[in-house]
Amino acid sequence: MGPGAKQRDISSFFSVKPKPEGGAAGAQPKDAAKEAKRAAAAPEARKDTEAGGGDGRRLKRLKRAGADAAPAPADAAGQEEGLEDAMEEEGAPRGGEQQQQQQGSEQQQSKDAQSKGEQQQQAGAEGQQQQQQQQKEGEGTAAEEAPQQPPPAPSPGKVSRSEASQAFGKLFAKAKAGAPAGGKAKAAASPAGGAKGKAGGGGKAAGAPSPKAAEQQQPSPKQQRQEGEEERKEAEGEEGEKKGAAAAAPPAAASAKAARASASAAADAVGSGSGSDDEVEEEVEEEGEESSGPGEDEEGAGGASGSASAGAGAAAKKAAAKKATKKAPKGSKVASAVDGVGSGAIEAAARYATVDVDKLVTWPAGAPVPYGHLTATFEAIAGTTKRLEIIAALTGCFRAILARSPSDLLPAVYLCSNRVGPPHEGLELGVGDAILIRALAENTGRKEAALKKEYEEAGDLGAVAAASRSAQRLLFKPKPLTLAAVFAGFREIATAAGAKSQERKRGLIGKLLVSSQGEEPGYIIRSLQGKLRIGLAEQSLLAALAHAASLHKEGAGGGTLALAERLAAAEAAVKQVYSECPSFDRLVPALVDHPLGELEGRVTFTPGVPVKPMLAKATNGVAEVLEKFSGCEFTCEYKYDGERCQIHVQQGGKVVALYSRNAEDQTPKFPDVVSRLPGWLAEGVDSVVIDGEVVAYDPATKTIKPFQILSTRARKDVELSDIKVSVAVFAFDCLYLNGRSLLHAPLSERRAALYGAVKAKEGEVGFATAKTSRDVEELAAFLNEAVAASTEGLIVKTMHDVYQPSRRSNHWLKLKKDYLDGCGDTFDVVPIGAYYGKGKRSGVYGAYLLAVYDPDSEGYQTISKLGTGFSEEQLGALAEALRPHALAGPRPYYQFGEGQAPDVWLDPVAVWEVKAADLSVSPVHQAARGLVEPGKGISIRFPRLLRVREDKSPEDATTAAQVADMYRAQAVVAAQRGPAGDGDDD
Amino acid sequence: MLEARLVQGSMLRKVVDAVKDLVSDANIDVSSSGFSLQAMDTSHVSLIAMHLRADAFEHFRCDRPMSMGMSLANLAKVLKCAGSDDIVTLKANDDGDTVTFMFESPKEDRVSDFELKLMDIDSEHLGIPDTDYCATVTMPAGEYARICKDLSSIGDTVVISATKDGVKFTTSGDVGTANVTVRQNTTADKKEDQTIIDLKEPVALTFALRYLTSFAKATPLATHVTLSMTRELPVMVEYAIQDMGHLRFYLAPKIEDEDMEGEDEAP
Repeated sequence: MGPGAKQRDISSFFSVKPKPEGGAAGAQPKDAAKEAKRAAAAPEARKDTEAGGGDGRRLKRLKRAGADAAPAPADAAGQEEGLEDAMEEEGAPRGGEQQQQQQGSEQQQSKDAQSKGEQQQQAGAEGQQQQQQQQKEGEGTAAEEAPQQPPPAPSPGKVSRSEASQAFGKLFAKAKAGAPAGGKAKAAASPAGGAKGKAGGGGKAAGAPSPKAAEQQQPSPKQQRQEGEEERKEAEGEEGEKKGAAAAAPPAAASAKAARASASAAADAVGSGSGSDDEVEEEVEEEGEESSGPGEDEEGAGGASGSASAGAGAAAKKAAAKKATKKAPKGSKVASAVDGVGSGAIEAAARYATVDVDKLVTWPAGAPVPYGHLTATFEAIAGTTKRLEIIAALTGCFRAILARSPSDLLPAVYLCSNRVGPPHEGLELGVGDAILIRALAENTGRKEAALKKEYEEAGDLGAVAAASRSAQRLLFKPKPLTLAAVFAGFREIATAAGAKSQERKRGLIGKLLVSSQGEEPGYIIRSLQGKLRIGLAEQSLLAALAHAASLHKEGAGGGTLALAERLAAAEAAVKQVYSECPSFDRLVPALVDHPLGELEGRVTFTPGVPVKPMLAKATNGVAEVLEKFSGCEFTCEYKYDGERCQIHVQQGGKVVALYSRNAEDQTPKFPDVVSRLPGWLAEGVDSVVIDGEVVAYDPATKTIKPFQILSTRARKDVELSDIKVSVAVFAFDCLYLNGRSLLHAPLSERRAALYGAVKAKEGEVGFATAKTSRDVEELAAFLNEAVAASTEGLIVKTMHDVYQPSRRSNHWLKLKKDYLDGCGDTFDVVPIGAYYGKGKRSGVYGAYLLAVYDPDSEGYQTISKLGTGFSEEQLGALAEALRPHALAGPRPYYQFGEGQAPDVWLDPVAVWEVKAADLSVSPVHQAARGLVEPGKGISIRFPRLLRVREDKSPEDATTAAQVADMYRAQAVVAAQRGPAGDGDDD
Repeated sequence: MLEARLVQGSMLRKVVDAVKDLVSDANIDVSSSGFSLQAMDTSHVSLIAMHLRADAFEHFRCDRPMSMGMSLANLAKVLKCAGSDDIVTLKANDDGDTVTFMFESPKEDRVSDFELKLMDIDSEHLGIPDTDYCATVTMPAGEYARICKDLSSIGDTVVISATKDGVKFTTSGDVGTANVTVRQNTTADKKEDQTIIDLKEPVALTFALRYLTSFAKATPLATHVTLSMTRELPVMVEYAIQDMGHLRFYLAPKIEDEDMEGEDEAP
């Protein structure tokens, strides 16, 4: 590189040498041709070569080098083992950087444009070529195209050059690998680009076609380079161009990450991630709109203005919108013909039917799936809010994995759900920001203070990470991350404990970060923080899993309608099975190894894997209960004021585990229950799962103590001898008995089983007091009794319905004492902001801004301010607890009205139960926005703090949908009472 | 079959102590030419290349090249058990999963042996090209260690610039800035105090100081250290182990760029 040119690219300075056993370093020149082919066959390798951008000087050097450099063999996986003996004088551009630029600000890009000339030029060339090719070639796919080009017999000179470029690509890369390599690399990239443009599938481009593609380009590196040059000039001049170039850069640069690179390019060009791209594009073609292929592509490039990533998003949306409009007529036509399957599902099915899975695959069959495959999908998902598109993108991703490397599906699913194990194992990532920032600083050579500042400004450490990878060059580019390696790393981080665990975690994080490229570091950081925040809900994940498995096992034939129905059935089955056995460890292998039809038989509820408890819906009073349950048999039980608890007993009481409502293992918290439990079991009970409530109980007075007493109990490592607060269990359901799941049995049968399996014991275990009646007055009296017995009210259940884990079902209704006066229910809200106290309250927070959780957007929506219901100690304690969670600005996922900004924003960490007078439509508060009235949210009036819910996490807060339901219920009641309480009166 | 007897046994310990903080696990490759170790730190920013020649050993036999992966922390633990004058003998079978260290005291009144388990380490072996360096500075190892230590207390990034006037180490931090300049000195009485600067072309590179500081742990191995620099390439920090071989560290430069570093380099 010219001395004047500033080289910003991170490079790899050294090359890989074959292991000593491999013989002399350096392959023989005569092998070069072979190697070159092989190398070309490996997409990653090709990408690596792309990474080597070179200028003219380098080009020459490269040629020289090419002539004498010992070529390097590339192994099938595409990692270079090649070696060079020459040292280069330059570093190779690193993919990460380019991407970073892409994601970074435009300014940065423009600055980079010069310093980085080559890459951009290269990238530009790609872009250009991509379009050209596309136009020329119309609709062939890359795979198809490639073979059409006769692979030129590579002359040794060329070959060695190509190899050199390959080897250097990584290494010193740029140095000599320079131009020819660049040219070629470019060339190689361009078909990929073209393919993408056309078919939209990064996967496609990166898949099989590479060898020919690479060779195909070989003949004209110079020409391309020239084009590149021009392009670069343009790029410097025009922003749009530049962006296009930048957008195209990642594919060029990314070394082994064919998948990611192509997908990100695809995202820009076409509109969404790997999976969905294909679908989208192919659909377009299918519908006879080929012209829109290139068109969209151009748009994509253009749309990439703004930050590149934003551009990608925009393009994605555009494409999506197009697709949507195109499909709508078709979908709606068909929809009317089928019951039970929505038009969306039919569209999806139609799309699936046209997908060629091979084109989704970006890595060699059987090889570990690159992490980039998943992050590209994440990018696509983040670019849309439409659930069906999210599912489609993820389905494509999973199908590709199933087709090539099915054993990687489990880690992929875990990474999508952002877990490292089933919930009951209690392994959580949630690494602290401080450690992450430290690890980032160590790996990027940047300063913690600067990173922190950026974090505060951007609000997303992931974005900071993705944009931060450039201050330190690398000696050698590490192998690209694989899905399995990332998951294993996460698991290791989650399990790290004991002395020096923080340092170990930092080391492990660093290891992941250093190998990550493009958007990967961003997702690694977000995963480690415990939140992906791309709008991927668990239900969508399950749907995608079901669709992928069904399509993989049974193909996509049989007609659109039949397929849509089949997919819907698979989805229902998978969701059902997962609700009964919420463990991907069991679900995913069963899906991979066995037919879908056997799923329900193979994955069943078993002791040791807790289900999420069935929940009850709120009601407004006895009258509503009677109305809802008119015509069916029901029963009422006390609603005890304690902690929900699922007790799993195996081997006649020898193995006992207690789980909270979040499937957390509570066994260490209740050693007293564990030790007494064997005495509670009736004769002949070997295994049983009991659903019940643990309450604080005073054995002396034989009375139930309030929840607050229970919450004073230590949470961990409780010793039997230290227990001050004794507890009793009130059981009300039996989910499993002696090897048989009772989830599908009616309540009447489950209750009988419970009474048969457990022996009530005063002060230790009892059954929830129950009463069956249809009489309003009798029920009201029973409710009063319940309240007098220190419970929260009643749960009313139908007798003939099954247990529906995790559902807030209509079959269970709650009737709380609070309902008797005013508002239907209490709300579990999350404080997301605070106001400084004045006067007596100065020094603490005087009021808080409250929010409910909206699972669809993974965001928090404001519902009210709270300034009453505190005692003075409480004010102090709350301020104390929340102060460490103060933020400089709102989280990007906070939804709040104008002018609502509190003095201090808070991280969502606490859940408070508040009671309110009623709900009203609010133009300011955002809860359930749009669900009841367009453009308006719902607020609660006169909230009062009841207690801090330590057993709930912020995601368990009252949801937007629940708020909307409660509002509607209130409106119904109000309407019945008379026009006065219209609900809008506020 | 491997057998290697090293009279200066403490040298091994010094080598391992110098690198164990940078790399936790590494392969030690043995061939008829001697021992070598090449490893990168986890962040792939620095590289260690160590070579001990076969002729440095009193007895050396290696029938087949082999690669012994081991935890350097554990290796250090074992070597710590050797007396400073002990003679160290390494033994390993071709297909074994352990290596044996035997320590003999000079008076031959004490013999101990330790068996260390080997592990499989997946590491790439890198080719390190020979380079014509623009500037080569040979200075007393202690002086280098001191500069690193002093500068670390001020900043965390150092610019090393070699000009005809000498070699200047510059850093800055919240506290302020620091400059240390080393000049050619070939007239010192003791050879150990001499500094030789061989400059073909001026060059300036920026590095993360903590790596350079870590390299200084090799100070006990040699009287002098040599820094070799070329624009845009890794610096090589070499400790020549007398009559035995060398320990070289390579460190990739940081990117000097205003818009990236500007914020980082808060005055």
